[in-house]
Amino acid sequence: MAPDRTNKGRMLDRSASGERLSSTTGPARLRWNPKIDFAFIFLLIGAVLVAAPLLWMFSTSLRPSAESYKLPPQWLPTQFHFENYSAVFQSDVPIVALFLNSLKITAAVTIGQLVFCSMAGFAFARLRFPGRSLLFVLLLASLMIPNQMTVIPIFLIMKTLGLIDNSLSIILPGLVSAFGVFMMRQFYLTLPQELIDAAKMDGAGAWTVYRRIALPLSGPALSALGIISFNTTWNSYFYPLIFLTSWEKMTLPQGIALLSGYMQSGNPAVVMAAVSLAILPILLVFVLAQRWIVDAFVHSGIK
Amino acid sequence: MLKLSDRRRESLWGFLFIFPTYLGFMVFVLGPLIAVAGISLTKFDLFGATTFVGMQNFGRMFSDDRLKIVYGNTFFFTAFAVFFNLTIGLALAVLLNKKMPNFLRNFLRSIYFFPVLIAHTYVAVIWQFLYARDTGVINYYLHFLGIGPISWLTDQRWVLPSVIIMDVWKNTGFAMLIFLAGLQGIPGVYYEAAQIDGASPRKRFANITLPLLSPTIFFVLVIFMIGAIQVFDTIIVLTGGGPGDASRSVVIYIYEQAFQNFDLGYASAVAMTLFAVVLILTMAQFWFSRRWVHYE
Repeated sequence: MAPDRTNKGRMLDRSASGERLSSTTGPARLRWNPKIDFAFIFLLIGAVLVAAPLLWMFSTSLRPSAESYKLPPQWLPTQFHFENYSAVFQSDVPIVALFLNSLKITAAVTIGQLVFCSMAGFAFARLRFPGRSLLFVLLLASLMIPNQMTVIPIFLIMKTLGLIDNSLSIILPGLVSAFGVFMMRQFYLTLPQELIDAAKMDGAGAWTVYRRIALPLSGPALSALGIISFNTTWNSYFYPLIFLTSWEKMTLPQGIALLSGYMQSGNPAVVMAAVSLAILPILLVFVLAQRWIVDAFVHSGIK
Repeated sequence: MLKLSDRRRESLWGFLFIFPTYLGFMVFVLGPLIAVAGISLTKFDLFGATTFVGMQNFGRMFSDDRLKIVYGNTFFFTAFAVFFNLTIGLALAVLLNKKMPNFLRNFLRSIYFFPVLIAHTYVAVIWQFLYARDTGVINYYLHFLGIGPISWLTDQRWVLPSVIIMDVWKNTGFAMLIFLAGLQGIPGVYYEAAQIDGASPRKRFANITLPLLSPTIFFVLVIFMIGAIQVFDTIIVLTGGGPGDASRSVVIYIYEQAFQNFDLGYASAVAMTLFAVVLILTMAQFWFSRRWVHYE
């Protein structure tokens, strides 16, 4: 793992001396100066504090419920009782269905955003049409509108369309992302104009330039937008809570909040097993695709 | 140069490309924004007839003591959550930016960042157990320090600090990540020059790091503030807004007025005030930023 990680944070590659340290094995060369040691200890304590709740979650999910409240807490998994996990699947919460609902909604929103945001972003960056700047600024200004604020009219729209308790009530509003359009536009602005002019000279229309030149080059931007959009939709709770009312339609965060509500007092280990089932896949994806995920979030934060 | 017909064709494609996004924007953002302003002037309850009541909903807000409490809670949460997320995030970024083996830096950064990826809902479910008064892990360790036991989630004075601590645990990693990327962008020569001039580490931080990082700090501040004012998921799962109204946020209040009391007119009026607050705070930050943000 370690040698693989070193080239992951491209933008973090700075300390040449650091690299030398990591490649040596002799303890003599590993002597750091005391100031750095202090920083390092502080960072380690912080890391333990950040990891502890998740470690507790996982260890508790593997112990019988009767031992969940045992103090002092046992941080490491010492027993391996997988019956808590099977209890999650046998509970009143149809966890597999909820997982699939979440997956369906998230996939639809993410794919939709990739298509629509890249098209709009390309148009705002590279096509000339009347009112372009005004339309773009208007769209951008909407970033300041809290999406909780517009939930009441959207609820009325969905009610009129008969879409309450239907995945479409979450998917349709999710397809619009001013942030995504902005991100894609900024990316397309960095493409060399000569490349696009050359294609136009050869008689390529807007669609061909987008499809054959811009899109094949937008891998990094699309992956960043895809990751952000996936994560946001996968974790969203406010809109599903209002729009999805029956068990068969709910999403995973809704289901786990409800499961926790009625099992908390009796069966903490089962609740922790359910949360572990929700979090461990994210951890796995994070470990595998760390470089892209970190890059995506850095991009989301830098103009 | 392009011929006129080509230009017209390009315009057509432009409109076609933005059409799906703009249609969605009209239906799900701009339209609802106007609608919510309209609904705020009515008595609207989903079942009976809708009647126009003018500014009555806004007048009612002045005598609504609960609204004062939920705004107070929201501002309290926002101020402290943003402050700690930013300061701790910045401290972590500065420490991580020191010389250390790369694999170690990436490893620590990953640990700090991971909670950012988890849904607030899950985080709240876990922390409910950690915060338990008699059986919780946190009180267990605090009692060694002679503190407690604290009723984290049931004591009116402690419930908002509990929400803030959990929020910092979850979100400071995002601030750290953005700050770290910002720090990497500061050219090393500045520090070398300052070192030659004999500037102390504290002076280097105050006179190089902070000014050059100020656009990043400003950006993170705006993002975190807008996010914190809209706090909902975390609190509704952790405490449900209780005990009493001690941790109820404005958005929870709007949600309850609209979807539990079915008082959509009043909820829309409160939503309008929230929008105004977000707008004013964003504008104010842009205005103040001219004084302290250093753009090259």
